[in-house]
Amino acid sequence: MNHRRARLGQVTGCLRRGYLGPEEAGKHLRFFSVKISISALASLAVVAGVALSAGPALAHASEQGFVLLLPTDVYIAAGGASVGLTVVLLALLPPGAAEAVFRTVRLWPASAAFRHVTSCLAAVLLAFLVWRGFTGSRDPSVNPMPLFVWTVWWIGLVTLQGLVGHHWRWTNPWTGPAAVLARLTGARAPWRYPRWLGHWPAVVIFLAFAGFLLADPAPSDPARLAAYAGAYWYVALLGLVLFGPAWMVRAEGITVLMRIYARMAVLGRDRGRVAAGLPGWQVIRLKAPPLALAVFTLVLLGTGSFDGLNETFWWMGVLGVNPLEFPGRSAVIVQTLAGLVACNLGLIGAFAGCLWLGERLAGTQRPLKQAFCLFAPSILPIALAYHVAHYLTALLVDGQYVLKALNDPLGNGASLLGLAEFYVTTGFFNTPGTVKLIWLTQAGVVVAGHVIAILLAHALALKDTPGTRRAVLGQAPLAAFMVAYTVFGLWLLASPRGL
Amino acid sequence: MTKLIKGTTRRGALKTLAGGAAGAASLPLWARFAEAQTSEPIKVGFQVHRTGIGAAYGRWYDRTTQAAAKLINENGGINGRMIEIVAEDDGTDPKRGAEVVEKFANQHGCDVGFGTLFSHVVIGSAPRAGELKLPYFVVSEGHHVASGMLNRYTLQPGITDVKSQVQAMAPYVSENLGKKVTMVFPDFAFGHDHRDFFTAAIEEQGGEVLEHIAIPPSETSFTKYFPKIPRETEVLYHVMVGPAVLTFVKELGEFFGPSRPEVFGFIDSLEAVDMASPGLEYLDGTYFWEGNPRHAQEDQTEFDKFFREKVGVDERGASVSDASDVSTYAHMFGCWETLHILKAGMEAADYKGPDDRPALIEAVEAMTDMPESNEHPQGAKRFNGKTHQVFGHQYISRVEDGFLKRVHSTSIEDTLYPDEVDYTTQSF
Repeated sequence: MNHRRARLGQVTGCLRRGYLGPEEAGKHLRFFSVKISISALASLAVVAGVALSAGPALAHASEQGFVLLLPTDVYIAAGGASVGLTVVLLALLPPGAAEAVFRTVRLWPASAAFRHVTSCLAAVLLAFLVWRGFTGSRDPSVNPMPLFVWTVWWIGLVTLQGLVGHHWRWTNPWTGPAAVLARLTGARAPWRYPRWLGHWPAVVIFLAFAGFLLADPAPSDPARLAAYAGAYWYVALLGLVLFGPAWMVRAEGITVLMRIYARMAVLGRDRGRVAAGLPGWQVIRLKAPPLALAVFTLVLLGTGSFDGLNETFWWMGVLGVNPLEFPGRSAVIVQTLAGLVACNLGLIGAFAGCLWLGERLAGTQRPLKQAFCLFAPSILPIALAYHVAHYLTALLVDGQYVLKALNDPLGNGASLLGLAEFYVTTGFFNTPGTVKLIWLTQAGVVVAGHVIAILLAHALALKDTPGTRRAVLGQAPLAAFMVAYTVFGLWLLASPRGL
Repeated sequence: MTKLIKGTTRRGALKTLAGGAAGAASLPLWARFAEAQTSEPIKVGFQVHRTGIGAAYGRWYDRTTQAAAKLINENGGINGRMIEIVAEDDGTDPKRGAEVVEKFANQHGCDVGFGTLFSHVVIGSAPRAGELKLPYFVVSEGHHVASGMLNRYTLQPGITDVKSQVQAMAPYVSENLGKKVTMVFPDFAFGHDHRDFFTAAIEEQGGEVLEHIAIPPSETSFTKYFPKIPRETEVLYHVMVGPAVLTFVKELGEFFGPSRPEVFGFIDSLEAVDMASPGLEYLDGTYFWEGNPRHAQEDQTEFDKFFREKVGVDERGASVSDASDVSTYAHMFGCWETLHILKAGMEAADYKGPDDRPALIEAVEAMTDMPESNEHPQGAKRFNGKTHQVFGHQYISRVEDGFLKRVHSTSIEDTLYPDEVDYTTQSF
């Protein structure tokens, strides 16, 4: 997470002092409008396309200055409007239109072959990383441990899981070793996972992970991270051995995170075959999640939002610290943890409030809990979009350090990829054209995430409540919430940052 | 308590310095190299801002440090021993900085700590370095070393401090740009240093500051402050930093148009930003302090050429592999020069291990004039052993079509000020 700090941003860039003239700004407005008219499909293509096209091209620290000069006010308004117009469009289209967008194509037969082998290899890789974490370079931009955990896994593999498919079945470091242990000992899990715990342990574990990521003074310190990762791997394996697979899918926070994001992927399983469809197609086919899992979804978004919020001048103003002389993470540990919890509680409260209001407006008599569980999955694309947009800049910089580490994995001067003389660059953060491209890519991802969320919420509402009118009415507060969240997300990207 | 060790007097240290350098140089290269490879390395704990607010600077400090260490090792290391850079990220966090210093001393067995830039991290870490008796070579340009607030183990021999930089600007500004100055600065310690040091210096030159305009650090629009600039202002002195700098320049242009006073600033505002960026045209014809001229000048020295080549920086101060990746050229030479001073100091003190740390400090305290050379590519320096602070030439450049053309070099004397501390009276 070296350069989660590498961000773009500022709040008040407007046409008046913008880099672009009104004409060019208008072009961007039209860009957004056109996208709306093609609605969902186009937006989804943006999401998928962005993931593929945002490769190393541009990136660094003065980018915020250039973002401040962009007419971000106009972009934010356009983004909010495109999400709002999607709502209107859905209200006018015949029922089933949203669901039709999520049609799938069935491909080859599904298989989970070799998953234990690859999982064992993942465990070996993790062991190597932990070893390097303790013995390799102390520099988090050189040591493969933090580079792999924060850049390859947290940014890269989580994104792949959400956009492409459920690779965690093969890449998790636990199921393979557990299978080997079971084979060797011939023993089965001695205890039953307590049903009453549900997915709540996963919520707690994920929040603890987020607390470490956001509030710990040195989450990238190679030895510190190696100790945490190694210990967690062991505890999770122990859980799996003692409680069996139920532990993995309910309590192990990382696997729960991965499985839930897999529901957003283009590729999924459909009646024994791999199928492809617009991101979100798997969500509408699944039954509503239990409450803890629904809360987990909200916590994903709440945490992602706070990850952006806690770097803004605004948040530093709340804390009363000078953003140009940030006193360091250790000075704000308690405040950061409190903010993380408050942001999640606030989001859950606002979401539940909108649903409660929607139920009243539509006259449906669903209990709030039922509505909460029904609609929570519609938040997933927003959470995923935030993840991708928020970390794009970090990926552009840290991805280069990853390449350097792959070039010399043992730190002994090897040049396996011929990159010994390769200098990491952040020049793409220093020119207006590339900064604009990066910013609009991030904004496009955020808007696309919200458009899909609107489509999902609509499809879920129709699934449960026949009749477009009622569904639309009941959905109105949630839709308003999503439009507001679009504006908030884009504001986060445009805000000046102190980190 | 002062431990008496061979070469700890100033004269002795100087003699050893000269002898050691000559001795090392007289050995054939292969012999120096062979010995270097067989000995334990000298471990230099590099406190680098890898994450946090200083990360952009940290990347270039690292690149310069690695280049200097490589060069020193290629030339036989220090006293025949290789340098090993042990880089630890301090997160640009003072508390974490102190922990990192502790790790250098207790965990990694480092001989010295080195390389810290941000003032608050230096101030947070230096007391711990003093307690652990770890020589701590900072590259921060803060006045905290020379002000006497730190300790005998903390030195700043490779980069000049902000007080000397600022005061050295006053003669040129008053003689060439004007005597009536308005200062615009961010309202925190960094800006206050400029306010205090420059106001005193310009008054000494017979000039005056008409107005001090302090801008809240979180401000992102400046138009409302500009009407406070008095009409009779001849020079506008600005030191804005942070993400809103480009907005500041843009709004300044909108406010003044072509009829503006002379404008003088510190390159800190635009460090790592390409001067040819669209939007910065307004700065054409304005002046900047530069710690080291970013753009290679017509009379570029062979030393500057050498330094650029080794660090991998082109004639516009950008990475040789990406012309848009502009370096922190005004500051990063400090790492290069500090490592070379460390080498000279260790050789003068015949440094063998942690027991010789006081001798190392005394050897550096004994240093005075350092000629411009490959080791000191920014220019000649004069070290003040009492205040642990180095003094050197400062440069003023004028922007001409996006090119920073050096128009003035100060003398070292312009940068001197009376001592505020004598660290040599403190015991080890």
